[in-house]
Amino acid sequence: MILEQLINGITLGSIYAIVALGYTLVFGVLDILNMAHGEIFMFGAFMGVLVTNTLKLPLIVAFLVAIGVTAILGFLLETLALRPLRGKKGVSHLAPLISTIGVSIFLENLAHHFFGAGNHPFRTSFSEMSFQIGTVTVYAVQIVIFVIAVLLMVGLSFWLSKTKAGKALRACAESLEAASILGVNTKKMITTTVIIASVMGGIAGVLVGMAFNSVSPQMGLSMGLKGLAIIILGGMGNVKGAMAGGLILGLAETLVVVFGESGYRDAIAFALIIIILLVRPQGLFGKASEARR
Amino acid sequence: MVLEVRGITKRFGGIQALTDVTFQVGKGEVFGLIGPNGAGKTTMFNIITSMFPPTMGEVIFMGKKLTGLKPHEVTEAGVCRTFQNIRLFPEMTVLENVTVGQHCRTKSGVWSSVFRTGAQKQEEKSIREKALELLRLVGLEELQDTFADNLAYGQQRRLEIARALASDPKLLLLDEPAAGMNESETKDLFDLIQNIKKLGITVLLIEHDMPLVMRICDRLIVLNFGKEIAQGTPEEIKNNPEVIEAYLGREEEEDLA
Amino acid sequence: MLAELINPYYLQVLSFILINIILGVSIYITLSTGQLSLGHAGFMGIGAYASAILTLDYHMPLVVGIVVGAILAGIVGLCIGIPTLRLQGVYLAIATLGFGEVIRVLFINLEGLTKGAVGISSIPHIGRELVKGLQDFGFKASMIGLKNNQLISLSVFLLLLIITLLIIAFFIRQTNSRVGRAFAAIKMDERAAEAMGVNITYYKVLAFAQGAMVAGFAGALFAHVTAYISPADFSYHRAVEILIFAIFGGSEVIWGPIFGAAFLTAMPEILREVNEYRYMIYGVLLVVMMAFRPQGLIDTQMIYKLKQRRKKKGVS
Ligand SMILES: Nc1ncnc2c1ncn2[C@@H]1O[C@H](COP(=O)(O)OP(=O)(O)O)[C@@H](O)[C@H]1O
Ligand SMILES: [Mg+2]
Repeated sequence: MILEQLINGITLGSIYAIVALGYTLVFGVLDILNMAHGEIFMFGAFMGVLVTNTLKLPLIVAFLVAIGVTAILGFLLETLALRPLRGKKGVSHLAPLISTIGVSIFLENLAHHFFGAGNHPFRTSFSEMSFQIGTVTVYAVQIVIFVIAVLLMVGLSFWLSKTKAGKALRACAESLEAASILGVNTKKMITTTVIIASVMGGIAGVLVGMAFNSVSPQMGLSMGLKGLAIIILGGMGNVKGAMAGGLILGLAETLVVVFGESGYRDAIAFALIIIILLVRPQGLFGKASEARR
Repeated sequence: MVLEVRGITKRFGGIQALTDVTFQVGKGEVFGLIGPNGAGKTTMFNIITSMFPPTMGEVIFMGKKLTGLKPHEVTEAGVCRTFQNIRLFPEMTVLENVTVGQHCRTKSGVWSSVFRTGAQKQEEKSIREKALELLRLVGLEELQDTFADNLAYGQQRRLEIARALASDPKLLLLDEPAAGMNESETKDLFDLIQNIKKLGITVLLIEHDMPLVMRICDRLIVLNFGKEIAQGTPEEIKNNPEVIEAYLGREEEEDLA
Repeated sequence: MLAELINPYYLQVLSFILINIILGVSIYITLSTGQLSLGHAGFMGIGAYASAILTLDYHMPLVVGIVVGAILAGIVGLCIGIPTLRLQGVYLAIATLGFGEVIRVLFINLEGLTKGAVGISSIPHIGRELVKGLQDFGFKASMIGLKNNQLISLSVFLLLLIITLLIIAFFIRQTNSRVGRAFAAIKMDERAAEAMGVNITYYKVLAFAQGAMVAGFAGALFAHVTAYISPADFSYHRAVEILIFAIFGGSEVIWGPIFGAAFLTAMPEILREVNEYRYMIYGVLLVVMMAFRPQGLIDTQMIYKLKQRRKKKGVS
C-alpha cells in the first residue's frame, strides 16, 4: 500500500518536474515567470485527447502532435507577448508577468471554447494494463511516464552541458548581454528556449492525460501554480532544483491523500509558495545572495 | 563634531569597497570626499545614510549612532543626500518632489487628510510655502509645475538638492552635484553651496571638479581603492605627493588630453 | 414616466459596475505603492463569506456583517502584507496568487462554515432589507409610483452609488495628501523615497491593508447584492479581472481603474456577443496593453493636460 503510494508519488513528481523545467528554462534565460506555461501544458494534454480519443490514432502520434502544437504556441508566445516588451524603455519588470497572464487567460478560454468546460477522458490502449510485483500493483502507464520523464531530464541535462547550443543557452542564462558580446545570437536563443520549454510542457500534458485519464481547460492553472511552487522550492532557474522540487511536491501530495485530506491536496503547492517565499526566498537549493539594490 | 566616521570597512562579495576609513566633520564645514572612480565614495554615502550596513565600523552623527538605523530614520535624525545617478520622482512635478522631501518633518496621516482638518490644511499650506522657498533658493521657482523628468540635467541636480534640503538636514551629502553641468551652472552651484553653508548646514561633498572642490572645501579626504591616502586642507592635499600620484596627476593628464 | 425608466435589470448591471469600481479602487491603492497583488479575489472572498456567515448564521444586522467582513479582510491583508514586504515585484505577485488559491481551497473545504463548493445561498439582500426598513417607517413603493422590485433595485443602486462616491472621495483626498505623496514616491523609486525620510515599511503595509480592506468591503457588498456566493466567485479569474481594471484603465491615477471597471463591466452588456469571448478579450487586452500602453489608457500626463486646459479656460 505504502509502496504503491510511493510509486504514485514518484510518477506524479516526475511529471511535475518536467513542467517545472519549462518554467526554469525560461526564467533562467529571460528572468521572466511565464504564467502561460500551465495553459500550454493544458493544450498539450488536449492534443493527446484529440489524437487518441477523437482520431483514434496511436499514442506516439499524440506526442508528436502535442510537441508540434506547443512548439508553435511557444513561438507565438515569444513573438507576440514577450519580444515586444524586451529592451523597451520604461517597461516595468512586472510587464512580462502581466503579459503572460494575458496569454494564459486567453488560452484557457480558447480551450474552453473549443473543447467545452468538462473533463475529457483520455483512454490509451494500455491505460488499464498493470502487473503485480509481490503485493504491489504497478500500472504500465506509470512506467512509461517515469521513463519518459527520466529520458527528458537526462536529455536536457546532457544538451545543456555538452552541446554547443546548450552551452550558448547557459551563457544566455548567465547574462544575455555578455552572451551577445560573445557572438551568441541571443534572439534565436531566446526563441529556442521558449519553444523547448513549451514543448516540455506539452509532453507533460500528454503524460498527465495518460496518468489521470482526464483533461480539462482548468488543469492548466492548477498545474501552472504547482510548477511555480516547484521552481520557488527548487530555486528559480535551477535545473536540478526543479527536478528535486517536483519529486518532493509529488510525494507530499500523495502523502496528504494517504492521510485522507485529499481536499487540501492542491493547497500544498500554494502554501509551499507562501512559506518558502517568506522563509527562504532563494529556494531550498539556491544560494543566498546580497539583496540587489 | 557633527559627523564621525569610525573605521568603516565594506565588502561586496569579493570586492573590498572601503577599508578602515575614519574621518570627522566639524559643524558648518564643507568637507570634500574625493578620489578616482570606484574609490568607494558613493559607498561611503550609502553607509552613512544606512542604505546598507558596513562590514565593520560605525557612523556617529551629533553623538547619535546612525549605523543600524533605517534610512528614513537617518533622514529624520538630520542627514539627507543627493544621488550621483539622479533619482528624482520622475512623474511628479518639481514642486511635488520638494514636498516629498518634507515628509519626515510633517505629520498629517490618513484621517486628517481625508477629513481635511484645520491642522492638515495649515500644514499643506506651509509645506507648499517652504517648497516654493527652496525652489527659489535653487532657482527653479518658474518650473514648479513641470514634470521632473522634463527638466534639463543641471536643473535635475539642483532639484535634488532642494528636495534634500526640504528635510531640514543638519548634514547634507552631495554626490557629484556638478557632474554634467556647464561652466555657468557650476558657478551657480558654487554660490548655492555657499548659501547652504551660510544656513548653518554642514556639507559632505563628493566631486570631480577639482577647482570647485579646492575653492569650496574647508577640508578633504582622498580615497583610492577604498583606502584613505590623505586628509587635510585643500593646500595640504594639493601638495601631497601621493595624491598627485594617485589622483591629481592623472586628472591633469586627462585635462591636457 | 419614472416608473418606466426604472428597469431592475439595468439597475442591477449598474450595481455590479459600482461594485467593480470599488474593486478597481482596491487594486489601485495597492498598486499605488508599486505592489502587484494577485490576491484581491481572496480578500474579496473573505469579506463576502464573513458577512454572509455573520448575517445568515449569527443573525447579525447587514451593516455589522459588511463592516466586520471588510475589517477582517483588512486584518488578513495586514498579516499578509507585513511578511511579504521583503518580496520584490514578481515574487510578491506569486505569493499573493498562492494566498488567493489557499483561501479558495479553504472555502471549498471548510464545509461546516462555508457549505463547500456548493456555496452559500439566500444571503440577506441589501435591497430587500432596505425596503423592509422603509416599510417600517410607513414608506411604500407605491407611494412614488413604483413596483416593489423596482424600489428594491433602485435602493440598492442608490446606496451603492453613495458608498462608491464616498470611497472615491476618500482616496482622492488621501492621494492628494502627504500620505498619497509618500505612496507615489515609493512607487516611483523606493530607495529614493526611503532616503527622503519616507518610512516605506509603514506605507507599503498601509496600502496593502487598505487595498485588502476595500476589496473585502466590495466582496461583502457583492454577497448581499447577489444573495449567493460560491468559491468559484473568488477564483484566479476574479483576481485577474480586478487587475485588468487597473491595467486597462490605468493605475497612475484613480480615474484609470474606475474607467476600466466601468467600461469592461458595461461592454459585455452593450455588446451581447462579446460576453462569450469576454475572458479571451481580457487576455488579448493584457498583452496589447503591455506592449503598447503599459501605464493604461488614462495616465498622469492626460489628467495633467486636462487640468492645464481647464486652468487656461478659467483665466481667459
Ligand atoms: N551595491 C553594490 N554591490 C556590489 N558592488 C558594489 C555596490 N556598490 C558599489 N560597489 C563596488 O564598490 C566599489 C566602489 O564603488 P563606488 O562607491 O560607487 O565608487 P565611487 O563612487 O567612488 O566611484 C566599486 O568597485 C563598485 O563596483
Ligand atoms: Mg560614485
